[in-house]
Amino acid sequence: MSDIVLPRRKTRIRETGKDRVFNAINLIFWIIVLFIVLYPLWLIIISSVSDPDAVRRAEVLIWPVDFSLMGYEAVFQHSELWNSYLNSIFYTLVGSAMSVIITLAAAYTLSRKFAGRKVVSLVITFTMFFSGGLIPIFINIKDLGLYDTRAVMILMNLVSVWNLMVARTYIQTTIPEELYEAAVMDGAGHFTYFFKCVLPLSGTIVAVLSVYYGVARWNDYFTGLVMLRSRNLFPLQLILKEILASLTTGNSDTFFASYADNLGGLQEALRKAEVAKYCCIVVATVPAILLYVFMQKYFVKGVMIGSLKG
Amino acid sequence: MTTIPSVRPRKSLGYRFSLTMKRDWQLWVLLIPALAFFIVFCYFPMYGAQIAFRNYKAAFGVTGSPWVGWANFEKFFKLYYCGRMFANTFLLNFLGLLFGFPIPVILAIMLNQLNHKRFKGFTQTAIYVPHFISTVVLAGMIYLFFSPTNGIINHIITAAGGKPIYFIMEPAWFRPLYIGSDIWQNAGWNTILYIATLTGIDPQLYEAATIDGATRWDKIKHIDIPHLIPITVMMLILNCGSLLASNTDKVLLLQTSGNLATSDILGVYQYTVGIAGAKAQPSYAAAIGLCLNVMNFVIVMSVNYISRKVGKISLF
Repeated sequence: MSDIVLPRRKTRIRETGKDRVFNAINLIFWIIVLFIVLYPLWLIIISSVSDPDAVRRAEVLIWPVDFSLMGYEAVFQHSELWNSYLNSIFYTLVGSAMSVIITLAAAYTLSRKFAGRKVVSLVITFTMFFSGGLIPIFINIKDLGLYDTRAVMILMNLVSVWNLMVARTYIQTTIPEELYEAAVMDGAGHFTYFFKCVLPLSGTIVAVLSVYYGVARWNDYFTGLVMLRSRNLFPLQLILKEILASLTTGNSDTFFASYADNLGGLQEALRKAEVAKYCCIVVATVPAILLYVFMQKYFVKGVMIGSLKG
Repeated sequence: MTTIPSVRPRKSLGYRFSLTMKRDWQLWVLLIPALAFFIVFCYFPMYGAQIAFRNYKAAFGVTGSPWVGWANFEKFFKLYYCGRMFANTFLLNFLGLLFGFPIPVILAIMLNQLNHKRFKGFTQTAIYVPHFISTVVLAGMIYLFFSPTNGIINHIITAAGGKPIYFIMEPAWFRPLYIGSDIWQNAGWNTILYIATLTGIDPQLYEAATIDGATRWDKIKHIDIPHLIPITVMMLILNCGSLLASNTDKVLLLQTSGNLATSDILGVYQYTVGIAGAKAQPSYAAAIGLCLNVMNFVIVMSVNYISRKVGKISLF
């Protein structure tokens, strides 16, 4: 008995002339899109490591000019920025961890059939379309005694309806019902099933939720603006806003001017402030993008599964 | 006359409740933290929204403050700038939707047509990146790039022989800046749903079409677009809910004394008179907020209703 060896051959149908034109146009289209998307980011990075005077004259266009790290030195001198940086790390880590656990637990419940599920779903989805408004929320926080505390930065926006729905759909579509039946047969309750079976199978959705919640918290500006007064509790974005805002108001970079002694005189401090703004942007944005890049592998897959309606 | 006893008497509510509790109490325990969050942080404020009809004083609390009926609403509607703020809010969101909504759909279709696997993967990763930048940083970037003295855009304009434009102080430039930066930041990210839909299409459809001699353009027209319509309509309905809801923090960051004529929107006004201003008027601001939220709610429900009647597609 002998195997018939077929010659290896490409079985793809050759593209027609029209399709080749289409492909060429599509490629050009994407190169333009990628340039628009990435060039501003690149510009920020190269400006942050260039000489301030070159940046001011807009000579920094493709590659850093007169490479220097003086902007970063100025940023590292800024103790208030680093304090807020630590605050943001705390709010992001603790807040996101709580958000992910609570969201998953609730998503599991909503994925099961039980008396009252419809009512609960309605109660939760309704908040997506109607809210009491900014002022009642603010007064509610004050009445609860949470105004100007670290707790409010954790508890505000703890669960997002959208993420809850994504997680529920994920659990419904990826974890087979037979697993539940088998677990119940073996005497497992909902607790055992959730912790021993659902959680270990939910790695992808945990990654997705962590990115969603983590980035939202890291970038959140409004909650701090409204709910905090003490400067030592401020998250990064609030301090960052003050640094960047000195660009518009024209009151000449008061932030870095106050550190003039450490930065070699007022004149020098103002010169450094020019690139320091770019450095602040880099320093503030890198954690969020890093989180995304590291989780990216699970991320695209998880979002796809979760976002399809189950 | 005798009543015939029903074969299966309906169990009382209390009995059914105790039955499900006995079986499913663990499910409820898992749900409670999230449910408590929604009740305390979403439904309490809804109850508190009644201060729109009162003259709220912190000392008297929400229910203890004197009832003033529609006075706060009347004050708001008589305000000279009321019309301008409604128009600004609506136009900003409407134009944003008009220009911003189709782009992710187009990007998703074009991305789906890319052959080269690695280039496709890189592109997909790259277009998501701007989404991870914070609003504060985005506003900062706008200030840096569009600055009249040092900004790169004005350097290009002057190099081309034009006069520098003070973009951030010009009312005419506020909407393009806001909407343009929004598209730059979110268009890539918003492709996710559409890409997910396109990857879910049965490949046999494409194969059959290829054998029938369809070009790529034909496949887009007859396979991709029909598959995208339901999800596109659903996203449109969802987005209509934000026609009057504003991205307050971004407008707050981009607002200057110069561009007030177009950047003066309801969300920012509500924040300024209710919290930030020297003499905060919480009840007045709450009335504005309530007004906005009710209008938004009505818009979503109407669009949803119409789309269900006309196209048989709806959220609920």
